Amino acid sequence: MSTAKDTWRKRPFIANPLLRYGLYAAIVVYVVTTFATLPIDWDRIAQGLSRAGRIFGGAFPPSFQRSELLIDGFLESLKIAILATVGGIILSIPIAFMAARNIVPLPVFYVGRAIIIIARSFHPVIVAIIFVKAVGFGPFAGILTLIVYSIGFVAKLLAERIEEIDPGPVEAMKAAGAPFLSTLIYAVFPQIMQRQIGLGIYQLDSNLRASAVVGIVGAGGIGATLANAFGRYDYDFALAITMVIVGVILISEAVSGAIRKRIA
Amino acid sequence: MEQVQLHDWARYTPVQRFQRYGLFALTALVVAWALGSVNIIWAWVWDAPTQMGDLFSRMVPPDPTHLDQILSALWETVNLATIATALAVVLALPVAYIAAQNTTPNALTLWLGRFILVSSRSVNTIIWALLFVAIFGPGVVAGIVAIMFRSIGFLGKLLGEAIEEIDPKPVEALKACGASHFKVVLYAIVPQVMPTFFAVAILRWDINLRESTVLGLVGAGGIGMILQGAIDTFNWQEVSTVLLAIIALVVAGEIVSSYLRRRIL
Amino acid sequence: MLKITSLVKRYGAGDPVLKDLDLEVPGEEVVSVIGSSGAGKSTLLRCINRLVEPTSGKIFLNGTDFTRLGKRELRVGRRRIGMVFQSFNLVDRLTVMENVQSGRLGYISTWAALSRRYPKEDIRRAFELMERVGIAHYANKRADELSGGERQRVGVIRALMQQPEILLADEPTASLDPKTSEQIMTLLRDLARELKLPVIINIHNVNEAKEFSDRIVGMRYGRIIFDGLPQALTKDAMNEIYAGVPHEDRKLEGAAA
Repeated sequence: MSTAKDTWRKRPFIANPLLRYGLYAAIVVYVVTTFATLPIDWDRIAQGLSRAGRIFGGAFPPSFQRSELLIDGFLESLKIAILATVGGIILSIPIAFMAARNIVPLPVFYVGRAIIIIARSFHPVIVAIIFVKAVGFGPFAGILTLIVYSIGFVAKLLAERIEEIDPGPVEAMKAAGAPFLSTLIYAVFPQIMQRQIGLGIYQLDSNLRASAVVGIVGAGGIGATLANAFGRYDYDFALAITMVIVGVILISEAVSGAIRKRIA
Repeated sequence: MEQVQLHDWARYTPVQRFQRYGLFALTALVVAWALGSVNIIWAWVWDAPTQMGDLFSRMVPPDPTHLDQILSALWETVNLATIATALAVVLALPVAYIAAQNTTPNALTLWLGRFILVSSRSVNTIIWALLFVAIFGPGVVAGIVAIMFRSIGFLGKLLGEAIEEIDPKPVEALKACGASHFKVVLYAIVPQVMPTFFAVAILRWDINLRESTVLGLVGAGGIGMILQGAIDTFNWQEVSTVLLAIIALVVAGEIVSSYLRRRIL
Repeated sequence: MLKITSLVKRYGAGDPVLKDLDLEVPGEEVVSVIGSSGAGKSTLLRCINRLVEPTSGKIFLNGTDFTRLGKRELRVGRRRIGMVFQSFNLVDRLTVMENVQSGRLGYISTWAALSRRYPKEDIRRAFELMERVGIAHYANKRADELSGGERQRVGVIRALMQQPEILLADEPTASLDPKTSEQIMTLLRDLARELKLPVIINIHNVNEAKEFSDRIVGMRYGRIIFDGLPQALTKDAMNEIYAGVPHEDRKLEGAAA
């Protein structure tokens, strides 16, 4: 005769049954209503598969005939990425300091943080469109866009790094009576330099990818070439461009990874 | 008394100094090349601040007349991102499974898994969107599929890495019990990967929310379509309303996702 | 009854890890396998349930030749062999009950495994065993919240849930402190008696081996060079096991007898 229990249930993740079943119900309701109300054109989807066939048929083999256009587009993207990275890093340094709680007074900190948040909230494509409207089509808009994009990323991480530095050297410099700028250069910069360089290289890679995309809305670079190809139904050229973009991204990722590993 | 040898002190050895200057010179050269050859009309550059100020003045104050349309488009954007992320999560699981060295059945599946992940990751969401708008026509379907395709690569890579990092000992133990392959995965691998799974899924949802806002600019549904419409009609005040709505959405998304992350992990 | 004949395990082109090994474990007895690191103890144990694939030789468990089993039959066969590990090998994030029930994964349906709705019989048996070893109140706790000794007890129960015909323990106490170590060894011995189970234990601690086992097997360089009662384990025998060279290999080594 056994007095041992013979039932056991695993404790569910959400203990409260009301909450649990309520959540299940909410999910079911959500899925059903969304699919019902989402404007899905089922006929178009069915047609889509045959269209896809035609597009892929037209895309193979990829056409490199207009390769000078391709190379021009790629080089322009490269220049945009380089200039945006340099400009972005140069601007990120003061902004990062402004957003570091341990360096600047509180009101300046809020301003610095706000700048970074605004820079991050908008997708680079949106920023690109605005700049295109402001300064016209072409790579200049792309450069400005990616500078903002870079600031959003580099300044944020740099600010976090600055907030994590060892306060010892800073204290020592202040005790020795060093002025603010000298303290920065001797006590803070060396601690953040390595991170800075790593971020710079990562951002160059990132900007190269992004430059392909902002071009689609007219901000220059290979993205513009791609959008044109799509618009003119030159799918074989579009495939060639996409292959080049993917290839460049892969090479860039590998190179930047290797460099960052070496300096780590 | 001994003569103390006084040396010159320098921060870097001559070789290092040469390397540093060399690197600096190289970078300067590259930047100069880019600056010199890029296709910019410098007159416009100097004009830029004025132009931007002008644009900005035309964008204030924000115009709320079509707020109801904007909000419903915003809701559509949220749904787009959520459904696409959910579908991508489901599809990424098998891909991650075959792309992980310790769980893939054979070398061919490993290569296939890695290939799928790399292709998916290297093509930007917007480029996928261009393709799918061409295939499925303008609308949310193109957007959902585009986000799915891009997300599978992101999720699959991180999940695959999580799978490769599991402790193999429970796997060995359950094999010794005579459990089938599926049950070994279910009991020894899935629990170890769970935390990463949720963290990555929530992270990607947050990113996709951001990406969905711009898909409409290439015709793939969501609030981007309203934005494009406002820009094309030079309705700058409506543009700023839409931009404010987008900021609100992105911030809300960040709040929700960091709340979920804290609760689950 | 376990019968191993002419077992050889070779990795690559070097010296085999197990050289032409014969071993018979007739019935309910606790056998301790001792030897220095690299003697092949772990490999021997893992060959029995084919976690390591033997190069040649035969392994019979109650009439079944494990070396000839195909994949599916091997899985069924492994249910009959319970294994306890040095690092416990539990699934840390799952509860104790789930870990214990994972010993039944070879028997229960996929749905039961997925939904954690285990058969009543299995749950009853699990609670009985857990009460027997004193961890029944931990049933809902995550495995990584338990101490080392408690975790090993979970490991032992998991193996017993398979209702195995033999229990293999690979250095079950190596990660435990001396007191807990004794508790686990006592548990293994007592369970072996109660359930009439043959138990093979790899162990470093010779004193524990002598105290808790019915028979001692000493290995050196992949061969069994001692097989007898614990009382018969003299100091000379110990030296042979831990520092000597097996008779068959001496001609090759050219070492003095």
